[in-house]
Amino acid sequence: MTGRFFAAGADRRIAITIAILLAVAIVVPILNIAVPPASAFHVPAYIVALVGKYLCYALLALALDLVWGYCGILSLGHGAFFALGGYAMGMYLMRQIGERGVYGNPLLPDFMVFLNWKELPWFWHGFDHFWFAALMVMLVPGLLAFIFGWFAFRSRVTGVYLSIITQAMTYALLLAFFRNDMGFGGNNGLTDFKDILGFNVQANTTRSALFAASAIALALGVFITWRIIGSKYGKLLMAVRDAESRTRFLGWRAENVKLFAFTVSAVMAGVAGALYVPQVGIINPGEFDPANSIEVVVWTAVGGRGTLVGPIIGALLVNGGKSWFTGAFPEFWLFALGGLFVAVTLFLPKGIVGMWDQWQNSRRERRAAATPEQGIPPIVEVAMPVKQKPAAKSSPTPLDGGEPQPAE
Amino acid sequence: MSKSNTILYLDGVSVSFDGFRAINNLSLVLDKGEMRAIIGPNGAGKTTMMDIVTGKTRPDSGEVFFDGEIDLTRHDEAEIAMMGIGRKFQKPTVFESHSIEDNLVLSLKGPRSIFPALFHRRSFEETRRIDEILATTRLEAKRHDLAANLSHGQKQWLEIGMLLAQDPKLLLVDEPVAGMTDAETEETARLLKEIAKTRSVVVVEHDMHFVRELGVKVTCLHEGSVLSEGSLDFVSADERVVEVYLGR
Amino acid sequence: MKILRALGLTFLLTLMFAAASSADEAALRQTVTKFATAKGFPAIEAVVRELGATGDPAVEKVLNALSEGNLYVRKSDDGVFIGKEGGATASLLDPLSGEPAGEALKAEITKIRVNNSLRGTIRDVLGTLTLGSDDPKVRLAAATTMFKSPDADAIPALDAAIAKETEASVKARMQDARASAVLVSDLPEAEKLAAIELLGKRGDRDTLSLLTGFQANAQGALKNAAGAAVEHINSTLALWQTGQNVWYGISLGSVLLLAAIGLAITFGVMGVINMAHGEMVMLGAYTTFVVQEVIRTHAPALFDWSLAIALPLAFLVAGGVGLAIERGIIRFLYGRPLETLLATWGVSLILQQAVRTIFGPTNREVGNPSWMSGAFDLGQLAITWNRLWILVFALCVFAVLLYVMKRTSWGLQMRAVTANRRMAASMGIRTPWVDALTFALGSGIAGIAGVALSQIDNVSPNLGQGYIIDSFMVVVFGGVGNLWGTLVGAMSLGILNKFLEPYAGAVLGKILVLVLIILFIQKRPRGLFALKGRAVEA
Repeated sequence: MTGRFFAAGADRRIAITIAILLAVAIVVPILNIAVPPASAFHVPAYIVALVGKYLCYALLALALDLVWGYCGILSLGHGAFFALGGYAMGMYLMRQIGERGVYGNPLLPDFMVFLNWKELPWFWHGFDHFWFAALMVMLVPGLLAFIFGWFAFRSRVTGVYLSIITQAMTYALLLAFFRNDMGFGGNNGLTDFKDILGFNVQANTTRSALFAASAIALALGVFITWRIIGSKYGKLLMAVRDAESRTRFLGWRAENVKLFAFTVSAVMAGVAGALYVPQVGIINPGEFDPANSIEVVVWTAVGGRGTLVGPIIGALLVNGGKSWFTGAFPEFWLFALGGLFVAVTLFLPKGIVGMWDQWQNSRRERRAAATPEQGIPPIVEVAMPVKQKPAAKSSPTPLDGGEPQPAE
Repeated sequence: MSKSNTILYLDGVSVSFDGFRAINNLSLVLDKGEMRAIIGPNGAGKTTMMDIVTGKTRPDSGEVFFDGEIDLTRHDEAEIAMMGIGRKFQKPTVFESHSIEDNLVLSLKGPRSIFPALFHRRSFEETRRIDEILATTRLEAKRHDLAANLSHGQKQWLEIGMLLAQDPKLLLVDEPVAGMTDAETEETARLLKEIAKTRSVVVVEHDMHFVRELGVKVTCLHEGSVLSEGSLDFVSADERVVEVYLGR
Repeated sequence: MKILRALGLTFLLTLMFAAASSADEAALRQTVTKFATAKGFPAIEAVVRELGATGDPAVEKVLNALSEGNLYVRKSDDGVFIGKEGGATASLLDPLSGEPAGEALKAEITKIRVNNSLRGTIRDVLGTLTLGSDDPKVRLAAATTMFKSPDADAIPALDAAIAKETEASVKARMQDARASAVLVSDLPEAEKLAAIELLGKRGDRDTLSLLTGFQANAQGALKNAAGAAVEHINSTLALWQTGQNVWYGISLGSVLLLAAIGLAITFGVMGVINMAHGEMVMLGAYTTFVVQEVIRTHAPALFDWSLAIALPLAFLVAGGVGLAIERGIIRFLYGRPLETLLATWGVSLILQQAVRTIFGPTNREVGNPSWMSGAFDLGQLAITWNRLWILVFALCVFAVLLYVMKRTSWGLQMRAVTANRRMAASMGIRTPWVDALTFALGSGIAGIAGVALSQIDNVSPNLGQGYIIDSFMVVVFGGVGNLWGTLVGAMSLGILNKFLEPYAGAVLGKILVLVLIILFIQKRPRGLFALKGRAVEA
C-alpha cells in the first residue's frame, strides 16, 4: 500500500513533466509565430532554436539514464548513437537539396561531386524518402547497439571495462567518419540543408514545428521509459544493476535484459540526433567525439540518474549554463565543466532530483516523528535509490574474477 | 553407481585455478528428496563445488549430472536455474532497491524472457503464491519495505523465500545461519526441514549446532575432495576430520 | 673525346692521390674567368668539366655557387664572383677563397644562368672530385652520387679510388658505383654479368630500379641475369620491409608502453580509473618545454642535458599533481570506479584548460638535443636516434618499475593493499599513504613519459587526449594488474597497427585495431594475462 502511495507520488511528477512538455510544444510555437515581436509574450526565434536543441539533448540524456541510472551500464558512447541518427537525417536532408547545390548536380551531393565521385554509393539509396530516413534513424543506432551489446553483454564485460570499450567504439566511428572515402562528407560532414518534407528548414514556421516535434518526442521518450521501468522488466533491469549474478541464478538472462535496454536507449538517442540536425543545420564527425558522450553523462549526473525527470533538468541546466558561460567567459567554460564533474561526483552523487527527494523524505520523517500516529508509511525513497557502497566496503581491486562491478 | 534416482551426481570432478587445485577428484551423490549437510574447513572447495553445480565454473574434468540425466557442464547459470536448481549465496544477496514483494515477483517461477516481462500483469495465482511464501518466511509485515532495510537474518530468509518462489527441485544453501541469533538459527533449521519435505537440499554450514539440528547425513570436504561421509556423530568421530579441523 | 676525358680524369686522380692535389691557383683562376666569356650552356658545361678536371677541392665552392645560381660576372672587367644579393647591391666574394671582395650595384653584374642538365653535370663533377676527399663521409656521399647517376667515363677514376680506399664500407659503395657504371659502359658481357651479380647482392631499392631499367634494354644472358637479380632483390626487399614494419611497430609499441605504463600502476594495480592520465603526460611534456626555455635563455650550453634535467622535474610535477588529485578527489571515491572515471575526466578538462590559459592553445616547440636527432642505417633499415632512445628509455622505465613492484618493500605494501585493504591496514600498513604514493608514482611515470613523447609529438594542450584511449586499450588488452601484460600488450598492438597500415591505411588500420581489441575483450574480458581465481560470488 505504501509502495503504491509513493509510486503514485513519482507517477504524478512524471505525468506533470509530460503535460508540461506537451504544453510547451503547443504554446511556444504559437508565442513565436502568432504573437507580434513587439509583445512581451513573444518568444524570439533564437530562443526557439536554442531550447529546441536543448530538448534534443534532454532526450539523449534520458536515453543514457535508462541504461546508466536503471541498469548500471555507464555508456561513454551514446554520442555515437546520437550522431548516427543525425547522419541518417542529414543524408535525407542532403538528398532534398537536389539541384540547388553549389555544383548543381542533380544526382550527387556537392561533396561527392567535389571528390569526383561518379555515382551515388549504395548506402545512400533510399534516403530520398523521408519514411526510409526515419526508419534508418532508429534502425542504424539500434542495430549497432544490438550487435555491440550482444558481444559485450554475452561475454560479461561490465563496469569500467564496458565504459572504456563504448568510448573506443565512438572513437573508432569518429576516425572512420573523418575519412572522405567513407561517403559521409568527411571532415565537413553534411550541411547546407534546404528543405525538410518540402518546408524550408530556415523558415520560422519550420523551426517552430521542429521545436514542437522535439518536445513531443521528449514527452514520448519520458512516457516510454516510464512504462518500461514500471513494468516487471523494469524491476528486473534494476535487479540486474544491483545484483546481476542473483538474477542469473534465478534463471534470468542478464545479458538479454541489458541488451534490450541498451538497444531501446540507442534508438532514443538516434531519434534525438535526428531532431537535432535540422535544427542546427549541420552534422559532422565532431559529434562522435568521446568528449561529447561523456558530457552527456554529466548532464544526467547533475539532474539525478535513476530518475526520469533528472536527466531532463540536468540537460537543460548544464546546456543553459554552457550557453551563458561561452558567451560571458568563453575561456572559463572548461574550468566550470570540469569542476562540475568533480563537484557532482563528490557532493551530489544522486543529482539534483535525488537530493530533493532525500530532503523531502527527511522532512517527512521529521514530521512523522513529531506526530507519532499509526498509518504513517515508513520512509521510502522516491527516486530509484542508487546503491552506494561505502568506501571501505569493497577494495578497489579489479583482480577478482567475474565479480560484478558495483552498480554506480 | 547408478545415476537414476539421484538428483545430483558428481563423479571425478576436478578444477584448478592457476595450478591451485580447488576441487580434486570429487565424487558426491545426492538422492532425490535427500537433505545433505556439507562441512569442511575454509578452502575445502565447498563454494567452488556450488559454482560447478550452478554452472558458474566449468570443471576441468569429471561428470556432473542433475536429475539423473542432465549434464550440467553443458549449461549456463540461467539454464540451470530454469531446470530447477536454486542457490543461496554465502553473503545474502537480494535486490536491495526493491521491496520484498518485488524481490519475490522477480523470483516466481514463470517465463524468463524479456517481452513477457515487459507486458507482465500479476495473476491472482501469483499473488497467492507470494502471500504463501511471505507467510513461510515470516515477512508478511515487511512486504512493502525495501529489502535494503531488512536485518541480516531477514535477508537470509528473504533469499530462501526467493528460492522457494523459484520452485526448484534442488536447493543449494550456502551458510544460511551465518550472523544469526540462536533463535533465528533454530527457526531457520525448522524452515529448511520443512522445505526438505518436498525438495532436495544441500546445506553448507560451519555451525555444528545447526547441522546437528538438521539431523541429516553429513559430508566433510577437505582440499577439494570428500574426506568423510556419514552421520554427524560418525563424521565427527573420524580421526582425519578431527585432524583437519584442529590441525597438527 | 670520351677517351680523352677519361684519360684526363685518370690523370687528375693520379695527381690527387700523389698528394699534389693543389693545382696551381693561378691556373685555376684562369679557368674560372672563362665563365665570363662562355656563351650558352654547352660552353659553360665545358668550363665546369675543365674545372672538375683540375681535381682541386678548391673548385667546390665556385661550382656549388654556380649550381645555386649565385655566380656573377662583373660587367666592367669580366671578373667572376660569388654574389649575395641584398636590396639594390650585392656583396661579392672571391670564387675560390670565399673571402669578401667588395660590393657592386646589381646593375653592374650579371648572373650566370644554369639549367637542370647543367646542375646534373655539376653534381657529377663534384661527386667525382670528392671521391678523393680526406673525409670518409664525403667519399661515401660521392660514391653514392655516382652510383645513382652512373657514368661509364667514371670507371677509371673509381678503379683508382677503390684501389686506394681503406674503409670497407666506403669501398663497397665505390664498387657498387663502379658496377652501375659498368652496366652503362660498352665493356664485355662477362664484366657486366659480374657487375649484375655484385648489384644483386646489394639489393636495395635504388639498385632495383637500376637493374629493372637495365633489364628492359638488355639481351640474352644479361637480361636473364638481371631478371634473376631483380627477383632476388625483390625478395630481400620484402624481408627488409617486414623488418622495417617490425621496427616501426616496436617503436610505436614503445610509445604506447610509455603512455600506458603509468596507467598500468593506477588502473592495473590500484584499480583507479584515471581519465586525467593523458594530462599527466601532457604536464611532463610542458615541463620539458619550460626547462628548455629556461636553458635557452640562461645556459644554452646545457641544452643537450635538457632532457636529463626535465626528467626528475616532470616526475615531480606530474607526481605532485597526481598526489593532489588522489588526496583531493579520488580517495573519497574508492570502490566507485565509474564515479572516479567521471571526476578524473573533470580534472582532465581543468588541466587542459589551465595549460591552454598559461601556454596558449598552439603547439609549443620542444627541441631535440643533438644526441636525439639524426638517423643511422642498419642494413636497409633507417633508424632514427630519437625513436631508438625512446625504446631504450621505455624499457628502462619498465624495468625500474618492475623492480620497485616486485623487490622493494614499498611495492610489497602496494600489492598488499591492493589484494586486501583491510588486512593490510591491520598489519600496520598505512593504506591511505600507500594509495596516495602509488597514485603519485603512476602519475609521475606518466610525467616522464611526457618528456620522452615531447621529442616526437606536438606539445599542445591536447597532447594527452590522443593517448588516453590507446593507453587503456593497452592495459586492458595486456591484462589488468600485470606489468608484463602491459609490455606485451603495447608491443603487440604497436606491431599489429604497423602491419595493418600498408593494407588498410593509417586511419582504417587504427579502427581495425580498435575493433579487434573490442572483439578480443569479448573473448577474454580480463586481457591476455588475466589472473584466474575462484569465481567470487556477487
